[in-house]
Amino acid sequence: MIIVQLLLVAAFAAVFLYALRSRTAHGVSATKKIAFMTFMLVVLVAVFSPRLVTEVANTVGVGRGTDLVLYLLAVMFCFYVVNDYLRGQEARNQVHKLARRIAVLEAQERYEVTREPAEVPERAAGTHQGADGDR
Amino acid sequence: MRDVAFVVPVYNEASVIGDVIADILKVTPYAVCVNDGSRDGSAAEIVKAGAFLVDHPINMGQGAALQTGIEFARSLPGVNRFVTFDADGQHLVEDAMRMVALLDDDDVDIVLGSRFLGASVGASRAKKALLRAAVAFSNLTSGVRLTDAHNGLRAFNRHVADTIEITAPDMTHASEIVELIARNGYRYREVPVTIHYTEYSRSKGQASVNALNIAVDTLLRKVGRQ
Repeated sequence: MIIVQLLLVAAFAAVFLYALRSRTAHGVSATKKIAFMTFMLVVLVAVFSPRLVTEVANTVGVGRGTDLVLYLLAVMFCFYVVNDYLRGQEARNQVHKLARRIAVLEAQERYEVTREPAEVPERAAGTHQGADGDR
Repeated sequence: MRDVAFVVPVYNEASVIGDVIADILKVTPYAVCVNDGSRDGSAAEIVKAGAFLVDHPINMGQGAALQTGIEFARSLPGVNRFVTFDADGQHLVEDAMRMVALLDDDDVDIVLGSRFLGASVGASRAKKALLRAAVAFSNLTSGVRLTDAHNGLRAFNRHVADTIEITAPDMTHASEIVELIARNGYRYREVPVTIHYTEYSRSKGQASVNALNIAVDTLLRKVGRQ
């Protein structure tokens, strides 16, 4: 095994262990977990057999294996950026709703304003967990 | 008029907010000021002037402040009509009350102030041109016909106050409100109002570059909903 292969395998093993240890991953769907593990496997294969990657690249009409890897990475990066942006917006909206509730409740208490007639606040669609893919 | 509440989003306006509140208190006891995380003495000035202070724990933007103010104002006893009013003194309370009176007509839910039907005191030519472009864009994207899309002076009834949900936190909220008018089917009317562009309001007003941000955000919202 050449040194670079050793380092790469060690790095991926570390990421994998780190992901396993995470206690907050329960909400992530099984599909995503399986997709991620498949991706790691593919990467491992690519590390040990660059020729295989080149062959795959040739069959889809790309000259070099490294080019194919670069294209795939670019696509994944774009996906990640958009996903991250949408998640950030969702989180911001939730924080805003929370802060607004605090501000209104606190003001109502200070000015002894009677609360609005008991209403069940309707939940806006898409604010619950697991719906992160629908916007 | 004890059934009218003025909702005023406040962000670092300590030097002028007192006068604005004093003007409002001449016509209604309900001046609701949402302090949007100001770093100057705005909150203290609001309390001193005798307005209702609703205090955002963090800075969330003018759109978010409007929504907060509307939600608080809804719980004030006897309030059925609502006005959104800028904190920098560029609007006139008389204009607002004229708009409120129009709500008595049965066929209107929301009355919007327009700079172009009325007089703009001290606006630069470039500012006027930009605002007209914004209007054309807004009419095109929302289907609501207006002459001024980004005017902070509005008056609306209980139905609108109960159903409006502004989610755009920043300056994009003006376009969002126009979209909500179309989507929720609010019956709207536009009336001329006078805007006082002072040295102060000009320095506080949004940079014209921001128009591009608003346009892009509006288009994205439109595409995202299909």
